[in-house]
Amino acid sequence: MLDTSTQPAGQVTQVTGPSRRTRRRGPKVTDQVPRHLRAHLTAYLMIAPMVVLLGIFVIWPLVYAFYLSFFEMSFYKDAKFVGFDFYQYVLTDPDFYASLWVGLKLAVMVVPTVLVLALLLASFIATLSKRLAAFMKTTVYVPAVVSSVVAAIIFVFIYQDEGVANWFIGLFGHGPVAWLNTAATALPAVAIPAIWLGFGVSTLIMLAGILDIPESYFESARLDGANFWQRTRYITIPSLRNVILFLLVTGLTLTIQEFQLPLVMTNGGPVSATNTPNLYIFNSFRDGTPYATSYSLTAALLLFVVIGTISIIIFRVVSSEKSSDA
Amino acid sequence: MNRSWYAPRRLLSYLLVAGIAVTALFPLAWMAMSGFKSQTEVLRSPFQFFPDVWRVENYRLILADPAFVRAMAITFAGAVIFTIASLVVNSTAAYAFARLEFAGKRLWWIVCITPMFIPAMAILLTSFVVVSKLGMLDTLAVLIVPGVASSAQMFFLRQFYLNMPAAVEEAALIDGATRWQIFLRIFVPQSLGPYVVVGIGSFLAYWNSYVWPVLVVSNPDLTQIMQYLATFRSSRGNDWGMLMAGSTLAALPTIVLVLIFQRYIVNGVRLAGLK
Repeated sequence: MLDTSTQPAGQVTQVTGPSRRTRRRGPKVTDQVPRHLRAHLTAYLMIAPMVVLLGIFVIWPLVYAFYLSFFEMSFYKDAKFVGFDFYQYVLTDPDFYASLWVGLKLAVMVVPTVLVLALLLASFIATLSKRLAAFMKTTVYVPAVVSSVVAAIIFVFIYQDEGVANWFIGLFGHGPVAWLNTAATALPAVAIPAIWLGFGVSTLIMLAGILDIPESYFESARLDGANFWQRTRYITIPSLRNVILFLLVTGLTLTIQEFQLPLVMTNGGPVSATNTPNLYIFNSFRDGTPYATSYSLTAALLLFVVIGTISIIIFRVVSSEKSSDA
Repeated sequence: MNRSWYAPRRLLSYLLVAGIAVTALFPLAWMAMSGFKSQTEVLRSPFQFFPDVWRVENYRLILADPAFVRAMAITFAGAVIFTIASLVVNSTAAYAFARLEFAGKRLWWIVCITPMFIPAMAILLTSFVVVSKLGMLDTLAVLIVPGVASSAQMFFLRQFYLNMPAAVEEAALIDGATRWQIFLRIFVPQSLGPYVVVGIGSFLAYWNSYVWPVLVVSNPDLTQIMQYLATFRSSRGNDWGMLMAGSTLAALPTIVLVLIFQRYIVNGVRLAGLK
């Protein structure tokens, strides 16, 4: 093959081949294989488990989902080819849009909060002594490793009628609120554990970004009399632009797809107020309504497209902003 | 610098550190404390953080539930196997992609990296169909095998291997070492830090997973810990003290893991290098 002759790695193997063989006790099967192919063989053996596993459990399910989305599946009849019918059903289903809207609202509550919180915390941690900084890094990271099931359970407990949340608002003279059973408060009540689970990792990533900004930038700003807010506005944020963009896009796409928290906390209720797209898809599959399989598969694929599009748009917008700045 | 101005500033930052730590850890501490409270105390309204009397009753009761202990044990065993298998599969592939040249490398790279961008929900339902056709439902294997290969972890390890100096590898090749020997004797021992980072990621992913076990496992012997907790909440939701005790114990392994390896994790974020 063309690429072996140009690859330095292949050449090295050829040079050392004979000496390697003399150290072996007897001829091996691989010795009969041409040397340049043997290098390929090693590589193939090394990637084989990965390729096979991803092929069976990720790529094939995706292809299969795409294929099945063109069929009407039911337990009673054979699958029937229906072309784009299910795409049309999903795209004209108000429930699908309602769930997208819920996902979007959740993301609007969670992502900006996490970003601001992470920026402030990371800026603060960057000013601390080594020891305190290490303590803070661990502290903010601990909630991130708690499972969303445990987080959901803790917060359901906190939102009880006699729970901490109601005790707290009681201090200000408000009566108990049925946080998770009121349509207006249920989604914010789900957003809080989402923020709690998510801010730690974002803080650490921002901190890594801040530590890479040359200290001299901050020093000269300080000499010029810039205060904390000015330094953040004119140095930290512009320098972290790519990090913030990364966190914004991953945060948005992950939050829109959130579903374990609402699944355990509210199961989408009350009246679909917390029915995020993935929860909607998951439940419509589990409910086993007629054609649930094809419908859920198609909705999941469409969601994938929607989220991909959102990410691309954000990247476009931000990069064009960047060019106008210059 | 002016000392009288500096000292209150330092005090302020200590206060801030304490305040942030308390806020961030409050839900966990509250959970653990509630486990120590009696049935009447656990939802008592005038807010009280510490229990009147420290009772270990809830912790004792949950530990006396064989289903809880079994769920903890089987999930732990599964998580350990899963973590080791992930490290083996992902790091060998990472080494090949970082250090070897072979025919069709670009194609295989695309095959291995694309899954990073496929959301779990898009394939959750057909993955279920695939594992049921393979006859894997209700086995330990169905909890472990499908998630072992991870594009993100492979990518992370490959970034690390790309940055290893070439000189050592070349010297070993001239001495007649095979690629496998180089990988096992030089690269693996050098990758302890990254292994800790991705290994903890695997462990957490397995330990915390809920939806996949719910979908593929109905045998009570294989019930995973998060599955157990969610079932406990829906069926015995009023027993908050015991549920909080169980949740505390279920969160403990992950928290301990992070406290032990925190140094590596924090550095890992920088290793991953977003730029």
